[in-house]
Amino acid sequence: MNILGVSCHYHDSAASLIKDGEVVVAIQEERFNRIKNSSDFPINAINYCIQESGITFNDIDYVGFYEKPYLKFSRVILNHLQAWPFSLKNFLATMPNWLQDRLIIPITLNKETGFKGKVFFIKHHLSHAASAFFVSPFEESAILTADAVGEWATMTYGVGKGNKIKILREMQYPNSLGLLYTAITTYLGFAAHEGEGTVMALASCGEPRYLDKLKEIVTVKSDGSCIVDERFFGFNKGSRMYSNKFIKAFGPDRKSGASLEDRHRDIASSLQKFTEETLITIARHVHDKTNLDKLCLAGGLFLNCVANSKILEQTQFKEIFIQPAAGDSGGALGVALYIQHSILNNPRRYVMEHAYLGTEYSQIRIKNILLSKNIPFTEFGGEELVKFIAGEISQNKIVGWFQGKMEFGPRALGNRSILADPRNPGIKEIINSKVKHREFFRPYAPAVLEERAEEFFDLNCKSPFMLLAPVVKTGKKDLIPGIVHVDGTARVQTVSKNTNRKLWQLISAFENITGIPVIINTSFNLRGEPIVCTPDDAIDCFQRSNMDYLVLDNFVISRPKA
Amino acid sequence: MICKRCVLPEHKPDILLNEEGICNVCLEYDKLRQPLNKPLETDFIKLLNTYKSKGEYDCLVMCSGGKDSTSALYYMKKRYKLNPLAFTFDHGFETEEAMANIRNAVEILGVDFLLFKSDFMLEMFSEMVRNDSRAVLCHPCSIWYMDLAFKMAFRFNIPIIIAGWTKGQSTKQPLMSRCGCSVHQPEFYSMAKATNDFLDRYIKDNPKYKNFPRSMEDVLARAKLRQKCVVLSPHWFLPFDSEAYVETIKKELKWKLPKLSYPANSTNCYLNFISVYNSMKNYGYTHYHVEMSKLIREGLLSREEALKNLEVNFSPELLNSIAGKLNHRFNGQ
Repeated sequence: MNILGVSCHYHDSAASLIKDGEVVVAIQEERFNRIKNSSDFPINAINYCIQESGITFNDIDYVGFYEKPYLKFSRVILNHLQAWPFSLKNFLATMPNWLQDRLIIPITLNKETGFKGKVFFIKHHLSHAASAFFVSPFEESAILTADAVGEWATMTYGVGKGNKIKILREMQYPNSLGLLYTAITTYLGFAAHEGEGTVMALASCGEPRYLDKLKEIVTVKSDGSCIVDERFFGFNKGSRMYSNKFIKAFGPDRKSGASLEDRHRDIASSLQKFTEETLITIARHVHDKTNLDKLCLAGGLFLNCVANSKILEQTQFKEIFIQPAAGDSGGALGVALYIQHSILNNPRRYVMEHAYLGTEYSQIRIKNILLSKNIPFTEFGGEELVKFIAGEISQNKIVGWFQGKMEFGPRALGNRSILADPRNPGIKEIINSKVKHREFFRPYAPAVLEERAEEFFDLNCKSPFMLLAPVVKTGKKDLIPGIVHVDGTARVQTVSKNTNRKLWQLISAFENITGIPVIINTSFNLRGEPIVCTPDDAIDCFQRSNMDYLVLDNFVISRPKA
Repeated sequence: MICKRCVLPEHKPDILLNEEGICNVCLEYDKLRQPLNKPLETDFIKLLNTYKSKGEYDCLVMCSGGKDSTSALYYMKKRYKLNPLAFTFDHGFETEEAMANIRNAVEILGVDFLLFKSDFMLEMFSEMVRNDSRAVLCHPCSIWYMDLAFKMAFRFNIPIIIAGWTKGQSTKQPLMSRCGCSVHQPEFYSMAKATNDFLDRYIKDNPKYKNFPRSMEDVLARAKLRQKCVVLSPHWFLPFDSEAYVETIKKELKWKLPKLSYPANSTNCYLNFISVYNSMKNYGYTHYHVEMSKLIREGLLSREEALKNLEVNFSPELLNSIAGKLNHRFNGQ
């Protein structure tokens, strides 16, 4: 039984394939077409899914699409009518997409892949819920999903048990924490669907002075559901997601690239605080209603690792599972899982212990590529490689690390990563100047040996997908200043010997040299670009940056001396 | 002097090495390198659907018994669930091993098979060899085979011809009819011109060959007047390397590598040895050097492996035993 899951036409297009109950491939289209957060029909990802799974296009039994386009269209039309005539510009801009792409998914599938079989359409938030629960280690758990908006729902909660999911309640558009976060992200001069993480980082640099004001325009009930005062927003009225009334209340909006003022930091801080408080209220309500102590989280809002940690710390839930592709790309996985388990009634037998579900290149292929490009390299044995690279990292060298299968989701988890030494307090500036060119206030994340994580972080569970931001323990902050954010937290990845042996060995080798079982792990890309996918992408990225080393499998390429 | 990146030797005025020992073909490739928009398998499927057959056969597969064409036949039957007609021609120089591979493949796959055996080309080959022509033997042979394939496709109302051409034998255009036969590339220019000149001269004087096409472009132009038909290779669209599909056809189609062939790990006819010998003598390289150089540039083959495969190590006895059929003997061999 082969089930293809697809998400596309908004942002983070992706495809996944379940073969006989196993998730074999899951991959975002942006990695192939090199358009960050690409919304294109994921034709490259689909081709890869089929070829990597060892099946043919004729072998696909079912295709699942991660939302219900007609239901979503009904909301869009109604919103346009409500906002008429101010929505005219938006209406004219979006209708061609609806008619040519979004409403004709089976036709597109047939045209692009020849697939003529059954296509299932699952509600957007149900896809999110399935993407988390069905691959979680839990037999039964509460499920909470939240993002900007699906069809109508913006947040849902329910219960997963065995191979079934029951949604108990949903919050609907325009009342949306995700839209609120994105709207204010754009107000602060960062890109929608991309700058939210930047706002989360900025939040720690400010004070929540605007929290009360936010609470005036978004009323939160005792169960955590909220009512957004639409007069402050312009979701359908024009090119902005916020209105003049919002500007009147919070001051002028920040243009992209303009300098950051205390007011911007404080608004970011208020937004983050508001989001955390609301999510905690909701999670407590979900716990009361379900009486379960395990929780699965999915939806773009749960890429907010600070909020995730607060939920874990401040609610009654004892265990949390967050799917690594928590955003819309994960919907491609969720819908395929929903078909496999809930529709076809197959039992669950797959637990997502790692996110390495993407492209992989053999040693010989990598070697041939290097030779074809006339790039000098040194080939190491596995043990020598980690020793050498650990030594270089400990000498403040910045290393592009390309190994095995690419990660699914927005985080680089040690197979398409840039690695550095966390002991150096100035390492952030070095990485920024050599490669990433990020905003100065954004922290870099640590990858720590799983078995040593508790020594360094207030963390009593695994965090394999870098979706929790615990506090760095007192007494350890000075040892790893390169990864400590201004609020004393760090977005931790715990590295297991079982799921990423090579990275584990590298961190161990680094510990042997330095006594610190932690390294910096940030995504292998330049600012504004998707994470590298192929050896060619990695070489290209290396050549356009000032990284010191590129490691492709066991081949090490050094930056030529100037 | 061989290019340090690929395996093409310097051959003035077409192939020139720069100070660093890199050839103009590699340098041009770097300039044109387009990592995006590589043909996808779904593009192939779309083309198959666009040119869907209304007749008994979905496609005509040109089978030489080699790994690439045998796997192409396998893909059409098994991967795309089509009803192919396998088509082979034997000009009298096919090896028994190649024929056995074809027989096994068509029997195991259960596809209809058309074998065209003729000594029609013998005089032309003989003339080329005896008069020490710089024309490449394989070129008129390919032209004839392609022309025959189009004619057979027309006869059986088949709109798609499938060849087993590798990525090294394409210019990355999805359709052969759009890419021509690449003779205008510098690495082919002298060879193609010599073949063209030979055909122009020889055909004029030999009524037997009066309808023989002058070039591959001529074949395509004639076919276009006659029928709507495309020529495709699944290998252009699939990411699998030859190791993967060789494994499959060995296991499923009892495919065997011949004991003796050029280049190593290939299956080519006996005449190919003479073609290679003459090409090396006249140009210092063969069309296999061109193909493998392309694969090297794409990162699909190492230079070391290509050089190993391209080593010319067949015996003079072998050459003369083949040349004997063409009433020729190589001097000093």
